[in-house]
Amino acid sequence: MKFEEIELSGFGKYPKAKCKVTRPPGIFDINEVLKNNSVIPRGLGRSYGDASLNDKGVVSESLLMNRFISFDEETGILRCEAGVTYKDLLDTFVIRGWFPAVTPGTKYVTMGGAIASDVHGKNHHNVGSFSSYVISFKILLASGEILDCSRTEHSDLFWATVGGMGLTGFILEAEIQMKKITSPYLTNRSIKLKNMDELFDKLEEFDKDYHYSVAWMDIVASGSKYGRNVLLLGNHEEGSGLPDKLKLRSAKKYIEKKISVPFEVPFTTLNKVSITLFNSAFYMAAKNKIEFVHYDKYFYPLDFILNWNHIYSKSGLIQYQLNVPEDKGKEAIDKVLKKVVAFGGGSFLAVLKKMGDQDGILSFPFKGYTLSMDFPVKKGVIAMCKELDQIVLEYGGRNYLTKDSIMDEKTFKQMYSGLWEKWMDTKIKYDPENKFTSNLARRLGLCPS
Amino acid sequence: MSLLVLGANSLIAQAAASHFAEAGHEIIFGGRKQDEPEKYANDFSIRYKTKCRAEYIDALDYPSHKKFIEDVLAKTPDLEYVLIVFGYLGTQEKAQSDFTEAHRIIDTNFTGVVSVCELLAAEFESVKKGNIAVISSVAGDRGRQSNYMYGSAKGGLTVYLSGLRNRLFKSGVNVLTIKPGFVNTPMTYGMPLPKPLVASPEKVGKDIYKAMLKRKGVIYTPFFWRWIMLIITSIPEFMFKKLKL
Ligand SMILES: Cc1cc2nc3c(=O)[nH]c(=O)nc-3n(C[C@H](O)[C@H](O)[C@H](O)COP(=O)(O)OP(=O)(O)OC[C@H]3O[C@@H](n4cnc5c(N)ncnc54)[C@H](O)[C@@H]3O)c2cc1C
Ligand SMILES: NC(=O)c1ccc[n+]([C@@H]2O[C@H](COP(=O)([O-])OP(=O)(O)OC[C@H]3O[C@@H](n4cnc5c(N)ncnc54)[C@H](OP(=O)(O)O)[C@@H]3O)[C@@H](O)[C@H]2O)c1
Repeated sequence: MKFEEIELSGFGKYPKAKCKVTRPPGIFDINEVLKNNSVIPRGLGRSYGDASLNDKGVVSESLLMNRFISFDEETGILRCEAGVTYKDLLDTFVIRGWFPAVTPGTKYVTMGGAIASDVHGKNHHNVGSFSSYVISFKILLASGEILDCSRTEHSDLFWATVGGMGLTGFILEAEIQMKKITSPYLTNRSIKLKNMDELFDKLEEFDKDYHYSVAWMDIVASGSKYGRNVLLLGNHEEGSGLPDKLKLRSAKKYIEKKISVPFEVPFTTLNKVSITLFNSAFYMAAKNKIEFVHYDKYFYPLDFILNWNHIYSKSGLIQYQLNVPEDKGKEAIDKVLKKVVAFGGGSFLAVLKKMGDQDGILSFPFKGYTLSMDFPVKKGVIAMCKELDQIVLEYGGRNYLTKDSIMDEKTFKQMYSGLWEKWMDTKIKYDPENKFTSNLARRLGLCPS
Repeated sequence: MSLLVLGANSLIAQAAASHFAEAGHEIIFGGRKQDEPEKYANDFSIRYKTKCRAEYIDALDYPSHKKFIEDVLAKTPDLEYVLIVFGYLGTQEKAQSDFTEAHRIIDTNFTGVVSVCELLAAEFESVKKGNIAVISSVAGDRGRQSNYMYGSAKGGLTVYLSGLRNRLFKSGVNVLTIKPGFVNTPMTYGMPLPKPLVASPEKVGKDIYKAMLKRKGVIYTPFFWRWIMLIITSIPEFMFKKLKL
């Protein structure tokens, strides 16, 4: 077994840890590693914080296990290995009329990572998160045993693994239900809104008419511009309404173009001025309109810029994503936003969306509102985030583990009270020696340190 | 027209094969690990909707090669392209003290490939068509203390392929020698390589595909290795022998 000792991080480049990494080609090799080490599985490292870091054992990547196993053209059921990515799915199946039913905002995510974080998309309020479309998966346990898990088979392990941040075992294969589409285009409706009251009204109004909905909020503007936002609503285009040019393009295999931020900039390009400009520019440029948008631009705008996290300079970024209950949701979001604006804003925009309920024990979503924001790591940011934690707690909300890098054990256990205990029962049943552990797990007290 | 890939597990092999599959060619994956070639064949047939199958071959089991090639040809009469990627880097230090390691390096990179190539050459020569591509290495351009066992096996391979190309030219059969530099694959995983010089298997695979279609003779991939190797091979021996390479 070959290892690589490197300074590793998640997408946020914060925190960093010296890790022993390996890239096993198969089950035999993962088992070899498990004999003498603790392990955390890792996909493409698109979690932001320390979920796929393990500086007290080994980080075991799934990237060589990336093969399709079967696909049923009639039903859209795909079976594949855990290292298969959203990019693989899109490149292969869009042209045949199938789309991932739930997708995160980047296609550089593996199926293993999507299950372990139980990722959600812009359609969560209508269809739930990724696990809603996971029919079953195969998982390698610490004991070396391989189990098939579904809603009916080892269902306790199924519900502890979706959203379980890789801590129950190594997901090897998954069976996934894809969604039928008739065109690679979406109809997108943009609505420019002056404040949060307008936004919350519109969210209610269009809840059911649009499959996808998300709002971009300016988190710098204060005074009369405070809370201004653009609501983006979308549906898969049926195809009939498309102009001929786009119809033609739909029939061809799509090839993406990329630009790249090749290295970390030595200084921070994101300062008060650029951030303010960016936030206002987005709002100014937005128009009330309906347009056809290709799925790639619609779902993965950031993927057009390879390594865009490099613009955050060496110190990295923190992504803060919270979810608060529907009841008093607006009030909670307002409090958070006020604090962020007073702090001087984050970078880029914040994304606000309505969420539905979810079954995974540690799955992040529940019925309410989620807000996610990026902050470059600099003085005062962590303290400010800790203050946000208190607001989230006060309203009975929680933070998303796959984005988190700063919560402490106490806060986590309050946010996931009643859930983490239940999860722990299953964890101990299937991994009594805590062979699967990560820096995140030790920080949050999900595994002993 | 079909492509036979020998060494199916290699990421470089898969990357090159993906272009053939995308263009609708049938792919035959040959490899020695249980099930693995089949998994790739299966994956390719879903991904590219092209005909694929797997065949078992061990580069070191020379007596089995004749039957292997005969079987492949019988099942695939339109075989046109062959890509051979068998390779074993081994450990230089171990090979210096343990001849079995040296033997394995030489046999996997050289003898095994020669055995298969001769069988293919005979067939392609008689039907007057065919396209054989083999991965050698820049390491074969000049021996260095850090990996001359592997380097010399690849060097021998390069010379062998040059002769084979010369022989088969008149029969209309193309022989391509591929010389990659550093590639990010399991072979080099964990090695402290200069990052800017390390290519992705996708890049190398695409170069191989293009060169095979264009019926080239020798390629360096990425291309800049031609210049790096030009410099390395022009250093006079009296200086070269003193270098720590
Ligand atoms: C630009 C961007 C946009 C994003 N948008 C969204 C979004 O809209 N919605 C959303 O929900 N998330 C979003 N994310 C987060 C991302 O989807 C998740 O963090 C996802 O889990 C990353 O997958 P990965 O393959 O990179 O896994 P990693 O980041 O490598 O790992 C994430 C977790 O999965 C576990 N894991 C990985 N593979 C396996 C396996 N084979 N078996 C068991 N456990 C495994 C790891 O242990 C770790 O706990 C976004 C991230 C980025 C960078
Ligand atoms: N990576 C580089 O930097 C680099 C640079 C220059 C040249 N190359 C050459 O490129 C080729 C591909 O290498 P790679 O980087 O993709 O490494 P790799 O993953 O190690 O591929 C080597 C391939 O050879 C196969 N193989 C080894 N011994 C075999 C045997 N006895 N019988 C059958 N198959 C055997 C391996 O199969 P198993 O999986 O079954 O072992 C594997 O498929 C090799 O010829 C290598 O020498 C690589």
